[in-house]
Amino acid sequence: LDRLARLARRPVAVALAACVTAAAAASCSARAGGANQGFVGAGAATSHYYPAGSRPVAPDVRGRTLGGQPFSLAADRGSVVVMNFWGSWCAPCRREAPALAALARHYPQVRFVGDDVHDSPAAATAFQRAFNVGYSSLNDPGEQVALAFHGTVPPQAIPTTLVIDRSGRIAAVVFGEVSYIGLRALIGKVLLT
Amino acid sequence: VTQDQAVLAEQEPSPIRLGPVGWLRWGWRQLTSMRTALVLLFLLALASIPGSLLPQDGINPQAVSQYYAAHPALAPFLGRLSAFNVFGAPWFAAIYLLLFTSLAGCVLPRAFRLARSARQPPPIAPRHLSRLPYAVSLGTSATPDEALAGASGMLTARRFRVRSGAGWVSAEKGYLHEVGNLVFHIALLALLASVALGALFGYKGNRLLVAGDTFANSPTGLDVLRPGRLVSAGDLQPFSVTLERFTARYVSAGAERGQPAYFNAALRYSSSPGAPMRSYDLQVNHPLIVDGVRVFLIGHGYAPVFKVTDGTGAVVYDQATPFIPLEQAGLTSAGVVKVPDARPEGLGFAGVFLPTAVGVNGRLASAFPSPLFPRVSLVAYAGDLGMDGGQPQSVYNLDISHMHQLAVRPAPLAPGQSIILPHGLGKLTFIGYRQWVSLAITYDPGQFPALISAIAALAGLVLSFAVRRRRVFVRATQAEADAAAPTLVEVAGLTRSDAAGGFEEEFAELVGQLGGTLDRPVRDAPVLVKGE
Repeated sequence: LDRLARLARRPVAVALAACVTAAAAASCSARAGGANQGFVGAGAATSHYYPAGSRPVAPDVRGRTLGGQPFSLAADRGSVVVMNFWGSWCAPCRREAPALAALARHYPQVRFVGDDVHDSPAAATAFQRAFNVGYSSLNDPGEQVALAFHGTVPPQAIPTTLVIDRSGRIAAVVFGEVSYIGLRALIGKVLLT
Repeated sequence: VTQDQAVLAEQEPSPIRLGPVGWLRWGWRQLTSMRTALVLLFLLALASIPGSLLPQDGINPQAVSQYYAAHPALAPFLGRLSAFNVFGAPWFAAIYLLLFTSLAGCVLPRAFRLARSARQPPPIAPRHLSRLPYAVSLGTSATPDEALAGASGMLTARRFRVRSGAGWVSAEKGYLHEVGNLVFHIALLALLASVALGALFGYKGNRLLVAGDTFANSPTGLDVLRPGRLVSAGDLQPFSVTLERFTARYVSAGAERGQPAYFNAALRYSSSPGAPMRSYDLQVNHPLIVDGVRVFLIGHGYAPVFKVTDGTGAVVYDQATPFIPLEQAGLTSAGVVKVPDARPEGLGFAGVFLPTAVGVNGRLASAFPSPLFPRVSLVAYAGDLGMDGGQPQSVYNLDISHMHQLAVRPAPLAPGQSIILPHGLGKLTFIGYRQWVSLAITYDPGQFPALISAIAALAGLVLSFAVRRRRVFVRATQAEADAAAPTLVEVAGLTRSDAAGGFEEEFAELVGQLGGTLDRPVRDAPVLVKGE
């Protein structure tokens, strides 16, 4: 009963249709199978970059941080924002945490913010202490912040990481665990546009 | 259909070499034959057997992992064959897509034929009416034209579809037989399409929700999500549900002691972010319906609340932790507390929650499902919980392979009591308990169309059985001028399938009525021949 959801099945369906006609079933069983094994295994992730002009507008999410401070995404308009959906119970989140913490230190001009889902402030605060996370996180036990992204780029798994450009549009998304190099490349690209 | 195809096949000259088109046509005929459809239907049933014998990813991923551990040689082989995801397997899809194609290929041309035949005018009256199964000849002094006009008027009044020609009238009735047949065939296709609609655009999910908590209907908000093939994350209806409180009552005495008597989950929900909150009392078999999505109450249990302070004095855990019932009579429940970020060492606890704790032969047990005497009994561990490797873990299992057990007082805890951990590792306090419910979330857009299609198919079938198609032909010819009856009127009837019976009576009545409309009818040795 791991709380990892997985990637949308749309590409799978297309692949499946191709398999049926080509009768090459063996080549496509990997993605079609494993309903809840979670595509977010160790190191596995899918990312997508939206070129300028096709970027969905991020909703103005509001909430309170784990420390109780009010937060509004719209207030960060003008800077690039990296938003990471995580939980202290989630093993892939724990593995990507050092990379996120290091990137936040590497890019002081980029606003990093977490969204802590399905979690308690006590456990989440202990997580941030353990991984030396320098940025704050929204307290989102009922996934209301995550739900606000419905209709744009909703998180499909925990972890999910969004890179939002200076005009408040979603420029990139990583479903699953981020790598230092992969996320740095995405942030660099968004900073240049 | 098979008969038609057999006839078509016979008409083909026996080919020595089939061209590509010929092979395609041959293949299509084979695929759309009733025999192939039946074989595919049987294969579909056969192919779903592994789905009930082997654990399935979508239903119980834990059991699949256990199967892999228990059968290290066989499991990867079965996995490659998609045996743990039978209903999503390419070969399973191949069977049902072929079945769908076969049925559509069989039913669609038939439906077109039926539609054509339902619009067809009655055929020209045969030359020799006396050869038909029902035939009568009458003599009259009216002219042939008068006789035919009378017959035509009478048949029209009896709601026959009438066609006239030189010296003849033909009439047909019972087109509803074809309409019923057509409705049945179209409804059959619609039924298949509805099932496909549900499989493509529907989804099922599960969520365990602790009293006071909220969940969002999204891929991350559900514990388990089994989406249809064309469902993406953004397609889930964005509602939220909060469990205000859960009430359970049990039979307190008698033979049924401990049996559930009443469950009620008081919910508050909103259909989308920012929409007004509504209240709903969720009970077993009375689902909450939001935007066409059904939310069922399928289980409940206890979530003891723990607070853990680590060696540095920091509160590193403070939350309700769902425990899973091991048995229903006393709701003895098992669960784990994971504190990976405690210092100096990670902490883990595994144990049981007993709603009504009693000692039975020195062992702890729960005597009743209500929390009359709640106790928690835990074993404590310290070390690495193995969560930092990135491999997803179940929240209900503690990996103790890199942990050591701590010597703590084994007495069960009452609410408010604590375990002091040795070596200054910290303290766990059992604060109290909350209840949780387990919810099944199902969305099947094909359900209602499937019901309508099934009803229509049945209605069509009944109609096609109840109504029979029958034809009546009338020919009037001039006899010798000096005869007593100068005009000979021949009436004949034909019915395709008289399963319901009654055409003989109808025909006799018709002939009687026709005789009445004719001027001075002379019944000239009426021949009533009953057909085979």
